[in-house]
Amino acid sequence: MANKYFKVWWLLTIKSAQTAFESRFGSIIFFLGKIIRIVLMLVFIIVVVSKTKQIAGYNIWQVIFFYATFNLIDTIPQLLMREVYRFRSYVITGDFDYFLIKPLSPLFRVMFGGADVLDSFVILIAIGLLIFSSSNIPGITATGVLLYILLILNTMLIAGAIHIAISALGIITTEVDSALWIYRDLTSMGRFPVEIYRDPVSFFITYVVPVGIMISFPAKAILGILSTTSFIAAFLVGGVLLVLSLYFWRYALSQYSSASS
Amino acid sequence: MKKYILVARNMTIEIFTYRLNFAMWRARVVLNLLTTYFLWSSLIPSGRQFFGYSSSMMLTYILGSYFVSSFVLSTRSFGMGQDIIQGDLSNFLIRPLNYFGYWFAKDIGDKLMNIIFTICEFTIIVLILKPPFFLQQDPSLIFFSITAIFFGILIYFLFNILLASIGFWSQEVWAPRFIFAVLINFLAGNLFPLDILPKPIFVVFQALPFSYLIYFPVKVYLGKLGQQSILLGLSISITWIFILLFLVNFVWRKGLRDYAAYGK
Repeated sequence: MANKYFKVWWLLTIKSAQTAFESRFGSIIFFLGKIIRIVLMLVFIIVVVSKTKQIAGYNIWQVIFFYATFNLIDTIPQLLMREVYRFRSYVITGDFDYFLIKPLSPLFRVMFGGADVLDSFVILIAIGLLIFSSSNIPGITATGVLLYILLILNTMLIAGAIHIAISALGIITTEVDSALWIYRDLTSMGRFPVEIYRDPVSFFITYVVPVGIMISFPAKAILGILSTTSFIAAFLVGGVLLVLSLYFWRYALSQYSSASS
Repeated sequence: MKKYILVARNMTIEIFTYRLNFAMWRARVVLNLLTTYFLWSSLIPSGRQFFGYSSSMMLTYILGSYFVSSFVLSTRSFGMGQDIIQGDLSNFLIRPLNYFGYWFAKDIGDKLMNIIFTICEFTIIVLILKPPFFLQQDPSLIFFSITAIFFGILIYFLFNILLASIGFWSQEVWAPRFIFAVLINFLAGNLFPLDILPKPIFVVFQALPFSYLIYFPVKVYLGKLGQQSILLGLSISITWIFILLFLVNFVWRKGLRDYAAYGK
């Protein structure tokens, strides 16, 4: 079963890569744009922290580590779940019907119907930045790294749940793009440690929209400053969101009218 | 003139037709503002200075840049590129209508809506956050700031025409726009006042047109520039407008010669 899904995913990803590289000019420019964005933000962080010495109590390498974690978390869902960005057109043209009649989970097709290979290069840069910044942070332990990886996996679960919910919303309202961009903007609030935000914004982005859990918690875990309660709460939030999003997806499917097909 | 007013009015009606879309867009703008605002308010404790900015000056700069960007950066003219690659430009070439005037009128309609929403959001933000806001009292500085905003609008519009012109030769009109948006976000001074950068970098940025979109108008408003610097800034803005006008004229003529109305 898993083998069948992997084969489908691989085939769709190959096709998606062929489409992306059909216009090399566009691909290069998009890739360059993403690199420039990372570099310019790094320059900004370095300029600011060179003056203040710290942001919300974190030194320059820790702030860069937070930023690298944000880039990783922002990019992996874009790489794996790029099809969600195209989902609106499937709903409004009625092409979503074709997903429903195939012997394959429609949710799988909507979520993983072709990875965006261009983002894999950005992930490599984010990983490089993570390794480089963490090598300048003293006191990182193997346990910290393990907790970081576990929390990143939990973050992917949360990101997946949010993408499922957005797809479900797309079936009901045909509105996907703006919701996705709002999600991206909310996660971009995690470019910096959430401690910079004051209440109620701080509470909102930690627990209501779990940007804090998604980005700050893994970074704090590796720095050894995340409490056990927060660690457990992160997985609870991940699990609950996934279950709720799957219920919402099932409900949305029952509302699909195949109007334009 | 009446037809362009109608185009601008139709644009506002179109925005109200897709209310949810516009509301989501405004929510995104506010989220970005909040990120920048909280970052700077955590960086500069009240009573302290940072790169020569007091807390109230910096937060006024951030709120000011949010305000000015709704004047300068709100646009619909990205649709020009789509017109060219889909061949829809042909419909305009045979009409008694200036194509650039048409898109500028659409931009005005879009800016109007964005400004109205910005004022509402701004009021709510000020009421909730109660930021230490610096109110400029000098009418001449307000006048110069408005003039700088007007020049910024023209510069940005001309850039948009140039970016759309890529459509004459390539289907890829979105990729260059993406890179332009990334550059604008930093080089225009949306996230921070450009003069906090090391001096050699800042000098280069001052010569580029981007800093005249947001940084310069807000800086004039804050009264942080002398009269000579203001006049120099306005002169550079005008120079860039003429350079861009020349480029637009050149590229557009060349583009129209190569235009084959593909897709129609």
